[in-house]
Amino acid sequence: MKSIKLTELAKVEKEIEQCMKCGFCAFVCPVYQEEKVEAGLARGKNELVKRLISGELEINRELADRLHKCTACMTCTANCPAKAPIPRIVVAARADIASSIGMRFPYGFIYRNILAKRNVMGRLLSLSSLFQSTLMPKTNGFLRHMPDFLSGLVKGRQIPSVASKFLHRQLPEVNRPAGGMRPVMRVGYFSGCMNEFVLPHLGKKVVDILTRHGVEVVMPKAQGCCGAAVFLGAGDFKTGRKMADANVAAFKDVDYIVTDCATCSCTLTEYSHFLADTPERKEAYGKFGSKIRHITQFLTDVLQLPASAFMASAEVKGKKITWHDPCHLNRHLGVKEQPRRILGSLEGVQYLEMPNADRCCGMGGQFNLLNYELSMQIAQKKVESIEAVDADIVVTACPGCQLQLTEATNRFGKPRKVMGIMEILD
Amino acid sequence: MLSPGIIAQLEKIVGKPSVLTTKEDLATYSYDGTTTWSYAPEVVVFPTSTVQISEIMKLASDNRIAVTPRGSGTNISGGSVPTRGGIVLCTTKMNRILDVNKANLTATVEPGVVLQDFYTLLAKDNLFYPPDPQSYLSCTMGGTIAENSGGPLCIKYGVTKHYVLGLEVVLPSGYVMNIGGLTVKNRTGYDLLPLFTGSEGTLGIITKITLRLIPKPAARKTIMAIFDDMTLAGAVVSSILANGIVPAKIEFVDNFVIRRIEEKMQIGLPVDANTMLLIDADGSLAAVESEAEHILELLKSGGARIARLAKDEAESLVYWKARSAGFAAIYSAARTVVAEDVTVPRDRLSDFIKKLDEISKKFGFPIVLIGHAGDGNIHPSVFTNSREKEDLDRLEDTLTAIFEAALELGGTLSGEHGIGLEKKRLLSKALDPMAIEVMKQIKAIFDPNNIMNPDKIWEV
Repeated sequence: MKSIKLTELAKVEKEIEQCMKCGFCAFVCPVYQEEKVEAGLARGKNELVKRLISGELEINRELADRLHKCTACMTCTANCPAKAPIPRIVVAARADIASSIGMRFPYGFIYRNILAKRNVMGRLLSLSSLFQSTLMPKTNGFLRHMPDFLSGLVKGRQIPSVASKFLHRQLPEVNRPAGGMRPVMRVGYFSGCMNEFVLPHLGKKVVDILTRHGVEVVMPKAQGCCGAAVFLGAGDFKTGRKMADANVAAFKDVDYIVTDCATCSCTLTEYSHFLADTPERKEAYGKFGSKIRHITQFLTDVLQLPASAFMASAEVKGKKITWHDPCHLNRHLGVKEQPRRILGSLEGVQYLEMPNADRCCGMGGQFNLLNYELSMQIAQKKVESIEAVDADIVVTACPGCQLQLTEATNRFGKPRKVMGIMEILD
Repeated sequence: MLSPGIIAQLEKIVGKPSVLTTKEDLATYSYDGTTTWSYAPEVVVFPTSTVQISEIMKLASDNRIAVTPRGSGTNISGGSVPTRGGIVLCTTKMNRILDVNKANLTATVEPGVVLQDFYTLLAKDNLFYPPDPQSYLSCTMGGTIAENSGGPLCIKYGVTKHYVLGLEVVLPSGYVMNIGGLTVKNRTGYDLLPLFTGSEGTLGIITKITLRLIPKPAARKTIMAIFDDMTLAGAVVSSILANGIVPAKIEFVDNFVIRRIEEKMQIGLPVDANTMLLIDADGSLAAVESEAEHILELLKSGGARIARLAKDEAESLVYWKARSAGFAAIYSAARTVVAEDVTVPRDRLSDFIKKLDEISKKFGFPIVLIGHAGDGNIHPSVFTNSREKEDLDRLEDTLTAIFEAALELGGTLSGEHGIGLEKKRLLSKALDPMAIEVMKQIKAIFDPNNIMNPDKIWEV
């Protein structure tokens, strides 16, 4: 067994030793809370990894499936007395597994051949949108991370409506501040696959808000998918590096890089941690990562917009709204207050904090494709929180969470509208 | 290896999804919260009813298969590690709270209920179940009974056994035995309950638990005190008790832990402080206020550099959160960490602290103190980064010296963690040989085939 190279796990050997096996993660791990089985628990996964390194276990599908049973919500780490970063160890293990036995079909194929090439993804999606109304059910409001959506295609999952004209065809590469203002800064907009292919009107809104506040917004056509599903989900670091290199090269000479997708914002900052295999990449990824800001961070922390700058759109006026924290925003990036500040400043809407707003919704990208029913069980707990405040609209900032919550509220409670935070702003 | 026939019968009893047999799954049931013990079981089963457990035990008994009961595996004695392989019987899916009776002040629960979930439910009715092992976020009720768990609150409120009124137990033969009942007073023949509270899973499987509850105290105040001399802090603890005050908690944290906590949490603790005491007073508001005042006086006259009352619940929570992070601070300090569980009489705390300092100097290992000063259970922890055999042997000698010092002062081997595998080599030094012999005979009555969590507590 020693012949298999555990390159990525070797890099986190110290972190693996951090777990002292107290088992306190059992109370917060959403997977364990449903299954009550040790292999699903953060401590259990860390032990599996330890035993893989010692040679007691080997890389096989059984091991791979268990290491894929993690939504990477980071709740274990946040509550760990020793702050053991087990979800990050899990990603390293996924990478070593992927390079040893590959990914389950069809994920590997899709990640390497479609997600990594945005033009291919675009063509495929255009094609599928032609058939969408006739061959597939039109499911307005059902949307998900595009990478997962593509993988999901094969499993016959819900299909988002693909836009007839993609975002980059609707906007120029350089968007000057409104009214001929002198730009206060130059910012790159990372649109993410969702806004690019499904919700271009949202992307336009982000650009519009930024240019209105004197920001010059660059939207490089060469940008691609952030790669979350590819390297964080499936552990395909090789393809991940290609995607990272392309994105880093696409955003030159900007002060910040802004995105309105929680997962994209988190993933772009993770290049340096997971994918930097050379000193050059370490430097380039690090510099790139330090410029990333989620739109809620950018508007409140960088532009420091006052409360009066935020206005609710007509659609949400008079409604009760609540906020669901995407894990990628809340625990991974520490963005907790900013969206609440924005929502709290909206006049004419009632903002209610739901209990356990920061509990994982169970989506977790590839996790939910491999463990659909489990993912839904986790979501059911979230629906209970939403029901407790009886909000008309659940607001979040992650297309994955949005899809999950739309489906889960329909299935387990009163159907509710789930919207992205940029969607509800005027 | 267990035969496919046995596995098939287990699957028939609990259902196929509740039987785990892959190498990967078994590996995750080979350990508990200790650092060194590891033995994989041959199968893990998750029963959901007493009837299922009874059938499992009959099968195990007929085929002489070792059965190790396990909850969340948060114990720190090696007690839930399956030394002989066999069956790990995991209670985590048997987790219903069956009854909370506000008028009789009792609750009945299944063994897989997590302690924190129980607290949360009781709080809605303003009820209180005091035993508070610091693994309360994950530990299961069955485990706390079998280990007779204690925690900070035990100085005033006692340990788990003081709250157990009734048990349903599946014996190794499969027989379902009920003992105790729903009454606080129960003088009916020999009291068999204490045999199971602290049995470490060696006599049977606890399947239903009836507990005594108390109303939640109306008020609570936290006092934080800093001392420059650890022995002074120890003396103050004795003087508080001698003055007729029994606070809800008296916890003790030394300089090493204070520094680590401050590094991690930045709550403004003086990093040069030698010792911190955290004291909680609870009860009616008037009683708490006068008790807190009295404690503050005793702390000041006893030589505290700082002694202050937390101004509100938020400040009090900051201190207690720091305290509970303390163990992690120790465990993450080195590769091998042994948190001792010896306990000394409360009036000998100062003497014990002096002894520990001598032992630390003699053997050359740092000894860090964090624990329950109020009941003499201050968890001296010894650690090293070395993997050299010579150092690890010297570490063992240090632990033996600590234990002997505690014993000399009239103390005991384990306050609350239990013996399990971790301390069985020391048991014969701590107990009368006849007492061990009686224990073995009791074990033989319940478990003639020695299948119930074998190899634990004493050496053969």
